[in-house]
Order: sequence, then structure tokens, then C-alpha cells
Amino acid sequence: MANRPSRSSSIPIPRSNSSTSPSRNIESIISIPFATPARSRLPSDQGPFVRGTTHAESDHRGAGTSTSTNQSNSPLRSTARSFTQPPLIHTRTIPRMINVPFEPRVVRAESSRNLDSTFQPPTSPTRLRKPSIGVRPPSTQRTTQETPQTFTTPSTTFERPDYLEHSAFRHLLQTEAPSSLPPARKSEHPPPNIHAYSSSTSTGSDDDSNASPPPREIPSSTSASASTPVISSDQVLKLPTRWSVQFRHHILNLSEDGRELTYQGTGGSDRDREAAAAARTVQHIPPACGIYYYEVEIRSKGQKAHISVGFAGSDVRMSRLPGWEPNSWGYHGDDGCSFAAEKNGTKYGPTFGVGDIIGCGMDFTTNQAFYTKNGVNLGPVFENVGKGIDLYPSVGLQHVGESVKVNFGHEPFKYDIEYYVQQQRNQAWAEIIERPVDTSFFSAGNNGSAPEEQTKRTLNRLVLSYLAHHGYVKTARVFQKQAETLNTVNTATPSVASSTPTLAVTGTTDHDVEMADTAVSSSSSSTTGLVIQNLEAAEIELRTRIVNSVLEKDIDSAVNETERCYPTALEAEEGLMKVKLRCRKFIELLLIAAEMKKSLNTSISMGGEDHTPSYDGEEEDGMSMQVDDDSAVSMNGFGPGSLVGDRHGSRSSSSAQARCKAALSEAIAYGQSLENEYRSDKRPEVQAIFKKTFSVVAYEDPLAVGGSIAEVVGHEARGLLANELNQAILKSQGKPTHPPLEMMYRYTAVYLLQLGLSGVGAAAFADIQKELLDSES
Amino acid sequence: MLISLSRDLNRLIMDYLIIEGYKSAAEEFAKEAKFPGVSGKPLDVDFDSIESRMNIREALQRGDIDDAIRRVNELNPEILDTNPSLYFHLQQQRVIELIRQGRIIEALQFAQEELAPRGEENPELLSELEKTMALLAFERCDAKPNGIGELLSAGQRLKTAGEMNGAILESLSQGKEAKLESLLKVMVWGQKMLREEVNLEDVPSINAV
Repeated sequence: MANRPSRSSSIPIPRSNSSTSPSRNIESIISIPFATPARSRLPSDQGPFVRGTTHAESDHRGAGTSTSTNQSNSPLRSTARSFTQPPLIHTRTIPRMINVPFEPRVVRAESSRNLDSTFQPPTSPTRLRKPSIGVRPPSTQRTTQETPQTFTTPSTTFERPDYLEHSAFRHLLQTEAPSSLPPARKSEHPPPNIHAYSSSTSTGSDDDSNASPPPREIPSSTSASASTPVISSDQVLKLPTRWSVQFRHHILNLSEDGRELTYQGTGGSDRDREAAAAARTVQHIPPACGIYYYEVEIRSKGQKAHISVGFAGSDVRMSRLPGWEPNSWGYHGDDGCSFAAEKNGTKYGPTFGVGDIIGCGMDFTTNQAFYTKNGVNLGPVFENVGKGIDLYPSVGLQHVGESVKVNFGHEPFKYDIEYYVQQQRNQAWAEIIERPVDTSFFSAGNNGSAPEEQTKRTLNRLVLSYLAHHGYVKTARVFQKQAETLNTVNTATPSVASSTPTLAVTGTTDHDVEMADTAVSSSSSSTTGLVIQNLEAAEIELRTRIVNSVLEKDIDSAVNETERCYPTALEAEEGLMKVKLRCRKFIELLLIAAEMKKSLNTSISMGGEDHTPSYDGEEEDGMSMQVDDDSAVSMNGFGPGSLVGDRHGSRSSSSAQARCKAALSEAIAYGQSLENEYRSDKRPEVQAIFKKTFSVVAYEDPLAVGGSIAEVVGHEARGLLANELNQAILKSQGKPTHPPLEMMYRYTAVYLLQLGLSGVGAAAFADIQKELLDSES
Repeated sequence: MLISLSRDLNRLIMDYLIIEGYKSAAEEFAKEAKFPGVSGKPLDVDFDSIESRMNIREALQRGDIDDAIRRVNELNPEILDTNPSLYFHLQQQRVIELIRQGRIIEALQFAQEELAPRGEENPELLSELEKTMALLAFERCDAKPNGIGELLSAGQRLKTAGEMNGAILESLSQGKEAKLESLLKVMVWGQKMLREEVNLEDVPSINAV
């Protein structure tokens, strides 16, 4: 536990950010672009992460209900209804929808009775809520239109498509929600619907499904899910996986795996046959994809394919083809035109029909769409697609017998989307880094010099402060000298500004990270402002020595030196740092004892070779913590040796035994004195440290245990403690605890995450982890 | 995580030292930060190439274009052949240096012979040519229009030197610019996008004050 604080601070989101009221920042980030008028003040206006009931409401509206009608109703009612009987509600409650010619089809003889009875509950809102969560009785609708089918979840399961690996947020993008989600959240996922269907089909009776809405779930669970926190780095962004059961025109028959839509219907009037019918997916497309792509195979059995493939917002009517309505975009097969909220399309590509595979891509870096036909890219089309709204894949059909099957990544795409995304990604990245740093970033006082010059100076300061922070004194000196010679070369030039830009973290951070003139003292005589004065260098050397002694297991030196030179560092937080150091010392003693014991055992089994590993002398890598563990493991890996020649084994092992015992009792004695000393310290954090430390005693070979014990005893723990001590010393001297470079990296990571979640697609292609840190490149 | 982040940042620093040509600092850093394989094959870095890059850079920052061109051709003659824009900028820099030294006639002559034909071929370069020639017009004037006076600054030399450095690095199939510089650019870009695209006013930031 001792190391927890520094551990958490190592998450690439700065702790300081959390103290700058992240919720405010993040909320403002998230809500602004998504606060479309239609959605203004829903209970939890969470931007793209609308959950539970909220989701249902907005979706319901999206299915064609007019906003005003919906708001005048109780949200509860509309929610429940939308889940229960989406198409029916429209015909019943919204006059506008009556002229949509599908009504006669729905109210069929066999189902009308049930529909009515299903509609009874609205008089009792609480009762109506129930079906909206667990078991929904929309089976009436299905049974009227389809032969009963059992939905199985696995049919929609597929891996995240490969092309999305190019997004920096790939780890957030998921095709299926993790199973660990709490039940309340699950209510928004397809499975409950599916469950409802299968249960109703099993009963085979509509009466059943409507007579028994089991009251086992109460509304509060759903409303609780509506108040889920906004974003965090482990936010899951769900990808479209299937067409929505609810948000499709009822005349479209949806296959059980959610992929195939068929315009069904027999007979009926001509007018009926010409009615447009659309569907969209359950999940909207996360802009964090950077580029999103799906393909549709035209399987029409009809004579001509009047099919539209494209995108739609959540509030687009399902009785219109994508592209006709505002907030919808479509490529139409009958004339090859592209439609963006227009009656008459614009010439775009070839016509398409039966057997063709139409790909539909959305590039969030340009907010343009693109289409492919049978693996050929037809080029970009539309502007400002999906700006400020949630965007769903959507298709529309218009004739009986027309059928489309979608591929959201269920199987390989016809078009080489991965290559395309890679190209776009490289281009987006190049656009970010190939421009000089915006001069507005630099202080106004330096406008005399070019951005290149200011950039260099800023970077030099970043490097030098980093070197000083981590105690790379020699490097810092050499670097500083070289930087100066480089810059004094051009004395002939007139405009080398003498005032240097100063990096500082603004905003309320928990520690003032001001690079300012602490580690890097500025000097007017220097053209670079890169001067580490002798005094400062000595200070860095001292601090480095102390920190390194922790890494070298010499805790006593660390404590003594710190006490001598930086007494306040150990006194801070009532001596917490000292507690941690002393506990580490106890662990080091235990480790020595354990190591001796182990080598004793080994030497006995090996048959006498006094194989005491040089515990203190083992290679210290500093950076590679594996060394310790590896050596321990390889030591263990020696099975009982077959060598029997025991020449002087017994004598040396007995002396080794004695040393081993002595080491152990020294450790125990130290532990006891430690416990005596801090018995009165009842602070929970201190108690936690002690508990963790003393649990190590229980293991004969703590290094081999792994898990949480390894976290306490391993070399990584040493590194963390050393870093903590470094920070404590720096803090006691009133200096920043993190080098500006580190802050810069963390801030950048946060910016990108927030941008990605806010719909700025290019952020998905600024993968700093991959571009800047991975050594493979 | 913390360990690995600081290891990553160490690499970022090393990358900067190498790309920017701080050879001895890079060598020192490899030792101090215990980079793997210091003695044997030092990273995958050719420390010697740093030296030649730096000599070229120094020449440019001195304003000695001839020396720079000679050195880069010694290193790899293809670099200038395959980078017409770089070659133009070197010649432009030569004109600038001539103007700086007050050798106006020479500058004019050189510009007519070397720059003008290239400017005609490439409209992008033409505007730079025009800017350079404007220097002659404002030669005796202290208040030069925006973008003109800059040409005489140390920044212009740095810019040319940076372009040269990038071209050499590219010819060695290494990154064009230091990753640290990319990081700074991404950060500044991110700040800007948060303000402009997301309309976030209060971006917690590391700013140049």
C-alpha cells in the first residue's frame, strides 16, 4: 500500500486533472457538441453516453415521434411504450404518422386484440415500466410479421474489426459489452430484448406475454443507470453490431442475427408497396473510431433496387429513406445519387443492385462520408456529416422483396478498408506534426523570433528540466554546454531573444508544476537560458545519490542522508515517508534472509557447492526490474541435483545455516522495534503500510510469491519508493514533483482522449503512445 | 506503469538528443540512464552520423552555405538531388546571407541565376522567392513588413538547418524530427482543438507564459 499514491499518479491522466474538477471540464466538453436542441435537458445529458432510460427516450423520439408530443408525456410512459410497440405508438399517438401507409399492415386481425391489451398499461405508469426493462411483450409485433425465431446472442458476436486497430482509442471500442456490467446497465443492450422474444415465442401465446409482465424489476434500477458517470479512461464505446429491433420500420423483417433486413409484405395496395422503410443500428458510431466502415450486400429479390445505404441521426423517421430527411445521408441504388437531406440527389456513383456489395464509410477527421462498390472506393461525399449528433448506420428499402445483409465486421470486408484507414491515419498524423507549433502557444514577449526557434528553446528547457529532475547530472551538464555552443555559433544574427519562454502549468493543479527557474535557472548571459549553476548541480547530485541508495537497497543511507540534508522531506505528513522507508528496510532484511535460506537449500540439494548468490552484488539495472526475479527463478529452477560428491558441503552449510539464522533474527528484531515504535500511530494509511509489510513475513521466499506480495517486495516497489522519496525531497524544497515533460505527456494524453470522445476524429489518429513511445518503430 | 512511463520518457529524451545532434549528451545519457547495450551495440543509433549532421548544421547556422552543401554532398549526394525544395531553400539562404553582408549586387545576380528558374517551375517556391527579393527593396529600412524581416533572423537559419537535418535523417531512414517535438505539436494541437472544436474555454494546460 505504501506505494499506492505514486502508482495511481502514474496513470496517464494527471492527478492534477482530477483536482481541477474533471467532471466540470469533461461535462462541458461532452455536453456541448451533443446538446442538440432535440435533446436539450434530459435527466442526464451525457452526450454520447446516454444510458438506460435516457437512451430509450432519445431513441424513441428518433423513431419518428415529434419532440413536443414526447415531452408532454411522462417520460416513463414514452420510454416504456417505445420499447413495447414502437411502430404502434407512432400510429396511435402521433397524428403525423398516420399518413404513413404501413398502419393497415400492423393492425392485423390476429394481433389487434393483443395490441389493445398491451396498450392498457399506460393508465398505470408503474406497471408499464416493468415490461420496459426485463420482459417486453412486443412479441405481438413479431408474431404478426415473422415466424417465431429464437434469438441467440452469439450470432451477433464478432471481434473488433482490424481496421479499428489504427485508432488510438481501440481499447475503448468494443463490439460487445463486457459481461461484467451491472444488470441495470444491461437493460439497454440487445440481450434483454432477445430474451423477451425467446420467452414469448416459447409460450407461443400472445395472451401470455401480455398478461404476465413479471414485476420483478423496479424502475429505480433503470433510472439509476441513467446517472452513470460521464467519461473515464475505461469507458467502453460500443460499436454497432446489428440492426435495431425497435428502430426499424415494422415492415422490414429482421433476421435473428440482426444483420439481414427484408422488405416483406404480400398483396396490399400499390401505395403500400412503395412505402419507404428504414432501419438503423442499436448503437451509434463512436467518433473515436476515427474512420468507421460497414458493408451491405444487396440481396434484393425485387425487380429493381431502390435501396439507400448511409447514416442517420437518432431522430430520423423510419418511414423515409436515408438521405431524404435532415440528419440523414444516403447513396441510392436506383440512380447512383447521393442524398443529404434532399429530395433530388446529386450525381455521385454508379447505380447498384442485386449482388453488389456497397461499403459505407465515415471519416470523422474530415466529417465526410465515402462509399465503395464491390471493393472500389467511389470517393468522398457530403460535408459535415454527423456534426453534433449521434450517427447511426442506416439503410432504407422501398419495394417488396428487397433485402440487404449488413457486415459490421462480422466477416472480412470486400474493400481493403484497413489499408485505406492506415493511409488516412498517416495523413492525419502528418497534418498535426508537420506544421510548426502555433505561435500563440508561445508568450507574447517572444514574437520577435520564429516558431522554430521558440520551439527549440522550449524543447531544450523540457529536456534539461527532465534531466535535472531525475538526477542525470552529467548528461545535463554536457547537454547544456552543447546547447550553448550550438546557439552561440550564430552570433552574427541580430535577433536572438534574451528572454526565454517559461513553461508553467496553469490551472488549478494539486502541485504547482512550474518549470520556471527551479531546476533550470535562467541566466541573462546565456542565449539559451540553459544554465545549471554549480550549487544546483550539487543539489541534484545529492538528491540523486539519496534516491539511488533506495534502489541499491541501502535504506539506512537514504534515511540518514535525507535526514541530514532535507529533514522536512521526512517530516512531511507526520513522518509518513520515513515510515515507508523503514518498512522497506524491514523488507530488505527479510529478503536477505530469504535469499540466504534459499541458497542454503540449493547448496544442500546441489550437493555442497556453496552457491550463495551475491544478493547485494547482483546486477543492478535500475530500469529492468526483471533481473531480480529472473535470477531468483533460475535459481529455483535447479531441480535436486544429481551430483552427490559431498566434499566440504556439511561444514560450509552449517556455517551458512548460522548466517542464515542470524539474518532472519536481525530482520525480526528490526520488525519488532519498528512495530513498537509505531504502535501508537493509528493513522489508517500507516496501519495499512504495516499490514502489507508484515504480511511478507509469512512467506519463505517472498519474491517467488507474485501477486500483491511481489508488488510490495519486488524491484518495481523499490523504484516506486525511490521516486516517492525524490518527489518528497523536491516538494520539501518547493519544487515541482513531476518534470514538465511528464506533465506534458499526460496532459496531451488527456486532451486526446477528450477530443476523441467529443467527436474530433483526428484525435483517434494521434496515437502518441504508438508514435512516440513504442520502441519498435 | 510509473517505471515504464519514465523508461518511455527516457527514450523520448534520447531520441531528442540524437536527432538534434547532442552527441556527447546522448552518450552520457546512455550511461547515466542505463540504456541497454551501451557498451556493445549502442541502441540502434549510429553516433557517428550525429557528428556529420551537426557539422552541416553548424555550417548552416554560421551562414556558410557553401560549406554545408559541400558536406552534405560528401555524406550523400542524393539528398540534394531528391529534395528540390531543400535545395531551393539552401540557395535562398545563400541570397539572404549575401544580403546580410551587404553584397547586394552578388545577391541579385545569384537570385536571377539560381532562384528565379526554380521559382518558375514551382509556384509554392515562387512566393518565397518574392519574399526574398523584397528583402532587397527594404534593405536599408528598419521597419520591414511582416514576414520579410524574419528571413534575416536566426530563426530562418534554424528553419533551413532543420529542413536539412530532417532530409539527412530521412535518407538514413530515421524519423524526420524528434519525437519530443511531435509531442509538443500534438499537445498544442490538442489544446487548440479543445478550444475551437469542442468550445472548451478552460483547458487545463501547460502554457508558455
